[in-house]
Amino acid sequence: MLDLEVAYRSMVRMRAVEEAVQLGVISGEIHGEMHVGIGQEAIAAGIEPLLTDDDAVVSTHRPHLHALVHRVNPVAMLAELFERDGGLCHGKGGHMHLFSPDRDFMCTGIVGASVPIALGYAFARHYRERAGLAVAVLGDGAANIGAFAESLNLAALWRLPVVFLCEDNGYGISVARDAATAGAIERRGEPYGIPGRRVDGTDVTAVYDAAEQAFGQARAGQPALLVCDCYRWSGHYEGDTDHYRAQAEKDAAMTAERDPIQRLRARLIAGRANEDELTEAEAAERARVAEWVAEARAKPSPNPADALSGVFV
Amino acid sequence: MSTATNPALQLNMSQLLSRALEAEMGRDDRIVVFGEDVGGLGGVFGATRNLQRRFGERRVRDTPISEMAFTGLAVGAAQAGLRPVVELMFVDFIGVCLDQVYNQAAKNAYMSGGAVSVPLVLRTAVGLIGAAAQHSQVLSATFAHLPGLKVVMPGTPGDGPGLLLSAIRDENPVVFLEHKLLLKQRAGTARHPGAIDALDQPIPLGQAATVRSGGDLTIATAGWAVQQSLEAASVLADDGIEAEVVDLRSLVPLDRETLTSSAARTGRLLVVDEDYLSYGMSGELIAVVCEELWEHRPRVARHALPDVPIPASRPLEEAVMPNPRTIAEAARRLVLA
Ligand SMILES: Cc1ncc(C[n+]2csc(CCOP(=O)(O)OP(=O)(O)O)c2C)c(N)n1
Repeated sequence: MLDLEVAYRSMVRMRAVEEAVQLGVISGEIHGEMHVGIGQEAIAAGIEPLLTDDDAVVSTHRPHLHALVHRVNPVAMLAELFERDGGLCHGKGGHMHLFSPDRDFMCTGIVGASVPIALGYAFARHYRERAGLAVAVLGDGAANIGAFAESLNLAALWRLPVVFLCEDNGYGISVARDAATAGAIERRGEPYGIPGRRVDGTDVTAVYDAAEQAFGQARAGQPALLVCDCYRWSGHYEGDTDHYRAQAEKDAAMTAERDPIQRLRARLIAGRANEDELTEAEAAERARVAEWVAEARAKPSPNPADALSGVFV
Repeated sequence: MSTATNPALQLNMSQLLSRALEAEMGRDDRIVVFGEDVGGLGGVFGATRNLQRRFGERRVRDTPISEMAFTGLAVGAAQAGLRPVVELMFVDFIGVCLDQVYNQAAKNAYMSGGAVSVPLVLRTAVGLIGAAAQHSQVLSATFAHLPGLKVVMPGTPGDGPGLLLSAIRDENPVVFLEHKLLLKQRAGTARHPGAIDALDQPIPLGQAATVRSGGDLTIATAGWAVQQSLEAASVLADDGIEAEVVDLRSLVPLDRETLTSSAARTGRLLVVDEDYLSYGMSGELIAVVCEELWEHRPRVARHALPDVPIPASRPLEEAVMPNPRTIAEAARRLVLA
């Protein structure tokens, strides 16, 4: 069940994490390329109530929100993002290569590579006759890589419990979706017998409703495809000049009505939630994230000598 | 059982490998086999024969011709606790799925700070078969260059099973290169049958085998070139030149000790490689030996595939592939120079 207040709190946490990460880039604590998911929170929040401990999530170069909703340890994740030791990967992975095997969560910096790997997590469940599914997260840009087509076919053929979750933020770096993508991504599963839907990815209820169906199908061995419309509120990466998107377009897309968080807040208030209580909840969540960030940043720097170890296990 | 009467000598390496796989699958239900034509056909070279009959389609699966998808699937399955043994029909096809091999399988253990491991085996057929530029390569150095992959290449039919067992039991991704001529040749007709009397014994990765002893030069090599070098060595012996032949068995890990101690003894190292010459195994082994033995001033030479795509027509193919005659010539040049 989707509890809107829980979803609201969750999205506030996501936003706070991403904003902390942006500050980390500005301060130089994070020196690498960084992709945040601001504007895309409702997608992660919409699948959050459907994810179980049995499930796996394989995400992309924009992975933090999916990690949070799959209950990856947030301090350990933040420590990795802030390039510390003692986090998920001891400084060797960084933000595009997070691994949390206790949650069967991982992500990859190679566009589209998440998709077949998710099939493997799904296959392992299927093979072991264990409960659980795998979520293959991809962007709209990744929908054009061959691995996606191959994986649709293979998942359908082997009846793997997998949900293809496409976050369509309209861009692959600077190239607009319509300049790169023929036809409708949500229909790309049809020839393989995989039903697809496109929903408003800024509306957590719409995401949840469609995801509930998709997850239900996948758990029954029928792979499903869900495309969620959203807008990338930040540059492709932190520091991106983002001159390729017209200001008028950004102004039209980045409004309170299209901000998943403000949108849900307005709805909660219209549904007679107490505004002060919401503000308090928001402050509490932000404080919680601030604690996570402080704890993560307090971890030591990795020992340079460790760079040479761990190629093989 | 003495080697001469061992019935396994009647088998080729593909048969020996399929038996090893079958036995190991019987012991370990985490092992699943994927690839094109590995099921009903038992692999285009026969190395998965009988497996589907014995273990069913659940464990032995023909895949669509979707190398990206099934190698990626193997990465995920390995990280989720299975032990996939994936067949890439010809190594030449690695171009369509290399990403999953070198960016995912090879790196995930390191990138995760040791949190995950990717115990998968990528078996693939390599080497000369008269099939020209896109179906004859070895590409061993390509894999060996990429950190995080173990690279195994049996040089004798009898070593195939023991090396495969070690590859499957390894926690790391292993690229297992099977030379087509070894896959097809009866073990009994090989110049050296390898560990034909200990087929169920795993052979540790990183342990070279000295398959012939000699004091005049060391020939270090791997794969089918081991057999070719042994043949060259017997020709050389007729001229009074005694070659020591070292079968590396794995390029990664590399048995530096056996390599350098042999080269130190003979003072001469010839590397024979069916992979391309430049930036390849030959240069690497020579660098290792020269760095380690610089005081001995070892004399070195390399004999590898010149830097051309492999041509189709037999006379052209023969002009580029190392063979016993050209290996012997290279050895003579090194010894007599
Ligand atoms: C195979 C591959 N090609 C190109 C890149 C460089 N790259 C990184 S992100 C990106 C855009 C991806 O777009 P999309 O899948 O829509 O995800 P988004 O960034 O919009 O979340 C590109 C081209 C890459 N990492 N991997």
